[in-house]
Amino acid sequence: MNKFLTFSFLFLLTFGVFASTDRVFEFEKEAYPFDDNIKEDLFYSLLNELRCPKCQSSNLAGSNSPISNDLKREVYELVKEKKTSEQIKEHLVERYGNFIIYNPPVESETYILWFGPFFLVFIAIFSIIFFRRRHAL
Amino acid sequence: MIPELGHIILITFLVVSFVGGFLPLASVYFNNQTLDIPIKRLTFFLFFLIFSSFLILVYSFLVDDFSVAYVAQNSNINLPFYYKFAATWGAHEGSLLLWILAMNAWLFSFMYLAKSPDKNFMKVVFSISCQVMFAFALFTLLTSNPFERILPIPPLNGSDLNPSLQDIAFTVHPPLLYFGYSGLLIPFAIAVSAMLFNTNTKEWAAYSRPWTLLSCAFLTLGIALGSWWAYYELGWGGWWFWDPVENAAFVPWLLSVALFHSLIASESRGVFGKWSILLSIFAFATSLLGTFLVRSGILTSVHAFALDPERGVFILGILGFFVIGSLLIYSLKDFTSNEVKAYELSSKEFGFLLNNLLLVILAVSILFGTIFPLIYEAITDGKQISVGAPYFEIILFPFALALGLLQGMALYLSWGVTASFNFLQRLTLESISLFSLVLLVLFILFDNLYLSSFATIFLACWIMVGTLQISKKRNLSYWNFLKKRMAVTFAHLGMGILVLGVGVVTSYSLEKELILAPGDEFNFGDQTIKFKSLEDTQGPNYFSKLANINFEDKEDIKNVITEKRTYIPSGQLTTEAGIITEPFQDLYISMGDNLEADIWSFKVQIKPFIRWIWLGALLIAIGSMLSGIKRIQRS
Amino acid sequence: MKKLIDILPLFTFIILIGVLFSFLSNKNNQLETVLIDDTFPQFSLSSLKDSSETLTQYDIKKLPALINIWATWCIACRIEHPFLMKLKEESVLPIYGLNYKDNREKALELLERDGDPFEFSIYDFEGRLAIDLGVYGAPETFFIDSNGVIRERHVGVVDEDVWKKKFAKYLDE
Repeated sequence: MNKFLTFSFLFLLTFGVFASTDRVFEFEKEAYPFDDNIKEDLFYSLLNELRCPKCQSSNLAGSNSPISNDLKREVYELVKEKKTSEQIKEHLVERYGNFIIYNPPVESETYILWFGPFFLVFIAIFSIIFFRRRHAL
Repeated sequence: MIPELGHIILITFLVVSFVGGFLPLASVYFNNQTLDIPIKRLTFFLFFLIFSSFLILVYSFLVDDFSVAYVAQNSNINLPFYYKFAATWGAHEGSLLLWILAMNAWLFSFMYLAKSPDKNFMKVVFSISCQVMFAFALFTLLTSNPFERILPIPPLNGSDLNPSLQDIAFTVHPPLLYFGYSGLLIPFAIAVSAMLFNTNTKEWAAYSRPWTLLSCAFLTLGIALGSWWAYYELGWGGWWFWDPVENAAFVPWLLSVALFHSLIASESRGVFGKWSILLSIFAFATSLLGTFLVRSGILTSVHAFALDPERGVFILGILGFFVIGSLLIYSLKDFTSNEVKAYELSSKEFGFLLNNLLLVILAVSILFGTIFPLIYEAITDGKQISVGAPYFEIILFPFALALGLLQGMALYLSWGVTASFNFLQRLTLESISLFSLVLLVLFILFDNLYLSSFATIFLACWIMVGTLQISKKRNLSYWNFLKKRMAVTFAHLGMGILVLGVGVVTSYSLEKELILAPGDEFNFGDQTIKFKSLEDTQGPNYFSKLANINFEDKEDIKNVITEKRTYIPSGQLTTEAGIITEPFQDLYISMGDNLEADIWSFKVQIKPFIRWIWLGALLIAIGSMLSGIKRIQRS
Repeated sequence: MKKLIDILPLFTFIILIGVLFSFLSNKNNQLETVLIDDTFPQFSLSSLKDSSETLTQYDIKKLPALINIWATWCIACRIEHPFLMKLKEESVLPIYGLNYKDNREKALELLERDGDPFEFSIYDFEGRLAIDLGVYGAPETFFIDSNGVIRERHVGVVDEDVWKKKFAKYLDE
């Protein structure tokens, strides 16, 4: 039983991962029509990552305010122009600042944010091993 | 007249809780019998007082007493009665009353159900709890009185409850969540009492554990309900946004989970005594902190209550007083070391240590990330930044991975030292088998396999196999094992199911924004969506544009409704999504904007396995609750 | 060493409380302006008054100037309007309008009825120039110096107070 499952697993991995069904696009009824999966996925993932500048706390995907709709259109056009994720975010940050992306940039002032957690884990493990002799806890 | 009564009762509560917070402590400290008061009866009296006060507020809502300012701000004549009831906790002032009520309910349960031979210990727990309740009551009366009146001319009608709160989930989510938050008061009070009396670790851990478990159960339910509600209410199909207020609930949850695991080790082996005390303090602290963050106005959020820095100062003061007070005791106290048996790196104790380390650092990171935008603005002199879902997901992943791997192995570890790790080989193989089975099922259902989901799905399988297959080690059938270890099996299995749900829905979701006129059809995934008709309807306090939608696939045709509601009198719009729940996926459609004439934009989504997330959470809550109840009965 | 570890939680917490207290006193409700010291963006849009006339950044000739984002749906803009008229009457500096996502007829009606403080208004129906300026609502006002560089931006109504505190100083350069 295990062998069968393992075999089918390997088969699936090879076959399944590469067999992606093509999506059918119907342009007239789509609000943001694309001609391929990759661009469409990029578009929707950006809508989740970008912040509505006017809302209290919402991403573009979750907001229907006028500025959000305008920004969705802007992102749509940029994706169609084959811009990369980085370029599109850069384009918006130039106008609205880092506030508009939910993913904070990695710069010297945010090192503590990005590396803090792992640094803490490191210190904790180190302390445990170091203090183990004393049963401090 | 009646609201005044509620006000007076609250003041009485204030006085009694002050007495309760002071006298029993004094009687213990000075060893003076004359200062002694019957704490059990006092607990009942306090509960009676706050319950009455709360009931009076509810009554004011139900009879439309708009002379009470809070009722006028949060209710309306046309509001359905169940929402009038729930509106009691619809804004800051009433929700505080709920907080105090919840704390009292916990204290009441503790005083009557917990069996402790040590009367003095119980008196101190009682007193500390009274002090906290006194602080909250003082805060309420001084800055946030729900019984304030609009006289001499009360308004004829109220402003209405916020339309996005007019939903069934609103009647349960806040109470559950508040009971979760406030329940951490008991472990906190027990920890402080344990410090003052230098109680034996195994002893006080046994007192604290059931209450921590129960609080965690309520928090789990409250958070899961919040997630489910956001999913169908907000219209964008997401189930967790890493919104500051969501994080404010998640952090105490993480710490309460860490706490009861630590207490297991403390109770069984007497280890982690000091650590469990610290955790008890910080679990309660983060629960208070969550309250602060929501009401102080320093964080923008969809959840934030009416903002008022003055209130923020007061809450921060309460938080500061109790936590700094207890930490001072901690710093100054000389902990006599209980006899503690040594443990190896391979032991269960060390497993709990790792578990705690990961959970606590994760909690700290989430808390830090939530307030970081404010810190950043301060250190860069005005530059702004957002820390949201992408960041938290990146940080969460390695922690969740480590915790999940640990969880699968956890039950195989033994106290002191684990004799052999041979189980790992079998665990790995069986996890891979389950993993392949799951992939097969996913492929049959959804025609696709996504590499991005593999790690999470494998983790889920690892957890589930580890939880169930431990029965083999004990040479028991699944059923017999389940009967013996029901609570932990439910809880860990629930986590596995939750992780599976997360893994699948994250990678397998489909979404699209459409522009449709009535009569239009659209092919989406394996469904054909038909916009059948647009209707004008109304409810008790709103007008609605209703879209009738059909989802058709090979098997059948399903009908669903999505609406755009305009509430009177506020004029606020809400979107009601249309959701069809199938066993393995949700079909989701929500109305967007009216573009012209009868043409509307829609957002349509397919969310595979999303219900498994909340199913998993429910199992976790059931497991925690079972364990908590069992331990109270036992003690 | 042992005692030090015991004091650490207390110490950390006191810092946390202190930090949170400090946050209570800050109250910033504007999005930061990233375009400070950038040149005014390029654009090509029709004029509000004459739909056949196309305006570009070169048409903003009289500098320094204010660029004011306004619309008929913006209630706060009506509150701001008299002050803009005052600036025009006293010839303090030229004001150019950007009519944001509005209805042309209604906008012209408003100017007719309440007075036109603008040298001209750009008709930005789709809000494209607004996006290039990082605008997210109305009213907003930008100050452009004699080199066409954005020096200051205010979100919300500009009145005597705001003018004195934020914009007046740039005129002295």
